[in-house]
Amino acid sequence: MNQAEVSKLVSKLRINVPPTHRKLRSPKGPEGRIDKLRKTVTGLVKFERIELNYNRADEARQYTERLISEAIRHGDCHKPTMDTANFWLLEKELIHKLFKVLVPRYETSNSSYTRLINAPKPQYGRNIDKVVLELKGNPFPDLINNNTNNKLLIQNVLLDAAKQDYRQSKINEIAKNIGKTENAPLNESSKKPEAPEKPVES
Amino acid sequence: MALAIRRSTSEVYGAAKWFIRRDCRVLSTLPEKAVEVPVETKQERPAVSRIRASARNPNLALRHVYPEFLPDPNPKWRNSLREKLERIDMLNRRKQIDIPEFYVGSILAVTVADPHAQGKTNRFVGICIERKGAGLRAEFTLRNVVDHQGVEVRYDLYDPTVHSIQVLRLEKRLDEKLLYLRDALPEYSTFPFDMDPEILPDGTPVPVNPVQVKLKPRPWLERWERQELQGVSNIEEHLKEKDRVRRELRKEPWEKYDLMKQYRRTIPIEDQNDIWAEVNHQLKQLQLTRKKVSRKRTFGVPKTQLG
Repeated sequence: MNQAEVSKLVSKLRINVPPTHRKLRSPKGPEGRIDKLRKTVTGLVKFERIELNYNRADEARQYTERLISEAIRHGDCHKPTMDTANFWLLEKELIHKLFKVLVPRYETSNSSYTRLINAPKPQYGRNIDKVVLELKGNPFPDLINNNTNNKLLIQNVLLDAAKQDYRQSKINEIAKNIGKTENAPLNESSKKPEAPEKPVES
Repeated sequence: MALAIRRSTSEVYGAAKWFIRRDCRVLSTLPEKAVEVPVETKQERPAVSRIRASARNPNLALRHVYPEFLPDPNPKWRNSLREKLERIDMLNRRKQIDIPEFYVGSILAVTVADPHAQGKTNRFVGICIERKGAGLRAEFTLRNVVDHQGVEVRYDLYDPTVHSIQVLRLEKRLDEKLLYLRDALPEYSTFPFDMDPEILPDGTPVPVNPVQVKLKPRPWLERWERQELQGVSNIEEHLKEKDRVRRELRKEPWEKYDLMKQYRRTIPIEDQNDIWAEVNHQLKQLQLTRKKVSRKRTFGVPKTQLG
């Protein structure tokens, strides 16, 4: 039995938002949770690609998306947005980055601003989902390589080497058989009469 | 003849001019001058951000007047088909009776059918202390003091037994909910039943009443001191040191920066635009017809009292 709050307007996020927030365990309670998320958001804006646990990454992703969408909507002359950026970005030079680098980058984009990619888990130890969280359009090489035709892909290098091996072995075989083939027809003709004849059907 | 000569001379002159210029150009070692085309400076359009464009929709102002048209933001209770059907039902109900614009803090008179007496109605006047619920379940609570006894009546906005809703005084208060009137002195929630409606001129913004009420001494129904109320004047008088310490401990200054908490409490702009585009036309039509009716009423021919 709630009524939607109408005092504030928010723009829609382009990611799936779970119905409730996650509790990130912390002795300081809800404040500790927000502190953790502030650190993660700051790290993400600073490094543009970070590896962390899934729970925290998914929460931090939502907050980052909201922060960027607010910055795009209101710009840097809006006091509440500036306050919010000041709260969420612990290193103050990143506020400049948010408004001068990230806002122009994402202004015209029609999809989400961040990407969440599963990372390999450690084989032994606590079985926790690891993910890579990154800002789209970052300067690093792609994590997902969809171009399978690339010669330098490790799979393609191995396949090429295997093909080469196979061809070489075939050539060697043929080369070995060259000498044998001259004598072969004689042997075959001598052997042929010994082979049992098939019964002829009447 | 003269004309022909004149033309021919001019042609000859033109040809000679062309030839000479050409000749000179051929003879000269200077490279041909590149013709300077005035480069049109392209006016770079400011990159149109979808987010900014959608926030500029003028229909969004309707959300203050008709908040119940927005669905409950809790995604567990969202159902697009049900919401759409409810909106149609709400508009149909609004065609039957005039549900005026009102806010928490406005003084209303509501007439409902009496369930215990056939064909009779009950009229209640009071201040709206709370608006709740979305869709057909939208409700509001009126409060008044009758015979030194506080009375609150909760009405459903789209209840078919409601005969009329009349706004006697259209205004807002400093807070979003006025539940603290329950613990305030009775004079702040006493309104006469024979109040005359106050008419605001068209186009004026809804006035905000800055009155600050005085609370009765404790015990209270809620811990008002922790709610950061604007409309209460004497809250500090009734507090002990213990309460002040606990209020400090319970403060959540980070809450206003919790971007996802805000997000989960509201309907995003893009969704709102769809909803308002759907109902805007019909709501405007309803307003127009209501204006026409009210004009007719004011300029109507008085009926003869004879016979």
